[in-house]
Amino acid sequence: MRWTSRIKFVFLLPAVLWVLVFTIFPLGYSLFLSVHHVEREVVVTGREQVPVLNKDGQPVLKKNGEPRTKTVVKRELSTTFTFAGLDNFLRAFRDAEVATSVRITAIFVGAAVAIEIMLGLALAWLFNRRIVARPVLRSIMILPIFATPIAVGYLFFTIFYEVGGPLAFLGVPWLSHPDWALASIILVDIWQWTPFCFLVFLAALQGIPDELIECAALDTNSEWDLWREVVLPLLQPVIILVLLLRLAEAFKLFDIVATLTKGGPGIATQSYSYLAFTRGFKLNDFGYASAMAFLLLIVVMIVVTAFFKRLRRAYE
Amino acid sequence: MSSETPERAKAVRQRSSISDAVWSLVAIVVALIFFFPLYWAISNSLRRPAETFTVAGLGIPFVDFTPTLENWRSQVMVPEAYAAFTNSTLISLMAVAIALALGLPAAYALARFKFFLIPNKDLTVWFLSQRILPPVATAVPFFIVFSFFDLLDSRIALTLVSATFILPFVVVIVRQTFYDLPIELEEAALVDGASHFTAFWRIAIPLAMPAIAASALIMFAFAWNEYLFAVILTVKDAATMPVHIAGGVDTRGVQFWFVAVRSLIAMIPPVLLALLAQRYIVRGLTLGAVKG
Repeated sequence: MRWTSRIKFVFLLPAVLWVLVFTIFPLGYSLFLSVHHVEREVVVTGREQVPVLNKDGQPVLKKNGEPRTKTVVKRELSTTFTFAGLDNFLRAFRDAEVATSVRITAIFVGAAVAIEIMLGLALAWLFNRRIVARPVLRSIMILPIFATPIAVGYLFFTIFYEVGGPLAFLGVPWLSHPDWALASIILVDIWQWTPFCFLVFLAALQGIPDELIECAALDTNSEWDLWREVVLPLLQPVIILVLLLRLAEAFKLFDIVATLTKGGPGIATQSYSYLAFTRGFKLNDFGYASAMAFLLLIVVMIVVTAFFKRLRRAYE
Repeated sequence: MSSETPERAKAVRQRSSISDAVWSLVAIVVALIFFFPLYWAISNSLRRPAETFTVAGLGIPFVDFTPTLENWRSQVMVPEAYAAFTNSTLISLMAVAIALALGLPAAYALARFKFFLIPNKDLTVWFLSQRILPPVATAVPFFIVFSFFDLLDSRIALTLVSATFILPFVVVIVRQTFYDLPIELEEAALVDGASHFTAFWRIAIPLAMPAIAASALIMFAFAWNEYLFAVILTVKDAATMPVHIAGGVDTRGVQFWFVAVRSLIAMIPPVLLALLAQRYIVRGLTLGAVKG
């Protein structure tokens, strides 16, 4: 039962326009930038003598009674765009640092997401049993999800500290060895996002009608078989959904790298997003950064397309 | 047989209560492991600087060392910390207000009206698909456009951007709630001569209040935690908590005791608010696909 009155557009259009202005326009602009060489420089446009004022706004006078003056240099930020065709994109394909960052991001995404989903499933199984204080324990598990990522990065810096940190007894060079640094980043992501997978799986598990499980339990004695043949197939749509959400999110890896390792040691943990960010905002190479961002967008879009079909079904 | 069955049942029950106890213990250990990093920050924040790496074991306050509030006191007094906290609060609140103003009517439209040109579900998915955009893709254009309007390092710039990326949450969470409300109430009001706006404002909104409040809390937490746009669009005057924490470390090396305090100050608001919205977290984070 749905209404069709034209008033519906008054309800919907403001939000649609807002998203168009703040998402579609920047994306279009980004595409424009990606096919240009963008140069930003500060140009001096003039100099001017102005009187020096004291706190009350009165001119400060020299001993001879003349107002003290200072020179103000007028600067203007000039941005020039030169059409570059596909130069920026081709450059990304040849850039060795980009290749490294792609490999790092791929390892991160694969390892982190796989472990989070499996651990999330295991924890959901555990919390779906008759355990004590489930609401309290569940609330504790929610905490990491909403912890400020930047703060999380610094927290783990203190935890991975190799001299006197709480994990020092393991003797692992957490942040100083290239491979371990990447492992550390993966570990932080696992800490923050396993609870998300766990929560969603637990909700899905509790949504399965008890009778269904009891019925299936009549046929088998082994809980493993029950899970493999009944529960996991029932959870499958949710698992795929969580997988896609985590994939889309993991590709953006930025905050933890920015705080925990700053891409180091060397470039061992420089994720793709972090590299695009530094190219754009540390080196002011906006055209190249936009091209890199666009390539990432294409990869994410492929994930989104799969995601889109799944989601559409959820909103029937 | 009649004497054996209760025996067996009792044995099964006993075994299961033992295994329940074991698994409960495992669950408690898991929860403690996940809580440990937060606990470690609390413990660090209560230590004297010299004790940071010398305290033995698990660093339990009162047992392993004498806690002090000195770090908290000196951090709370820092004007930049105060300014960052204010900025974060104001920006997140304004962004949530904008997102609600735009998102609630949109959610209502998607739940109650039929759109023909583009089906409702495609519109819904379109709204939430921009959650998936990598922020780096829009960061450069935002930076250039806001610098053109001289809005860099202003609260306005970050508010507008934050409102955009949290908008999907209110649309997906509240759309479902509106959809689940009995439409008869609103139809009765329409028959009595009320307008669609009155039905929306006087009937649907009050009934959906718990979901609206929960979506507001979740959106506040996301706006608060955002870093990439914040570090690009703000420098000093409009710097938010995440930018403040990141900046303080660069200049003086990592001072663990202060970092712990700052991290906790940054984390406490979003984490507490999210706990209040627990019931809607699953729905929100799966963009409405799992009802939870």
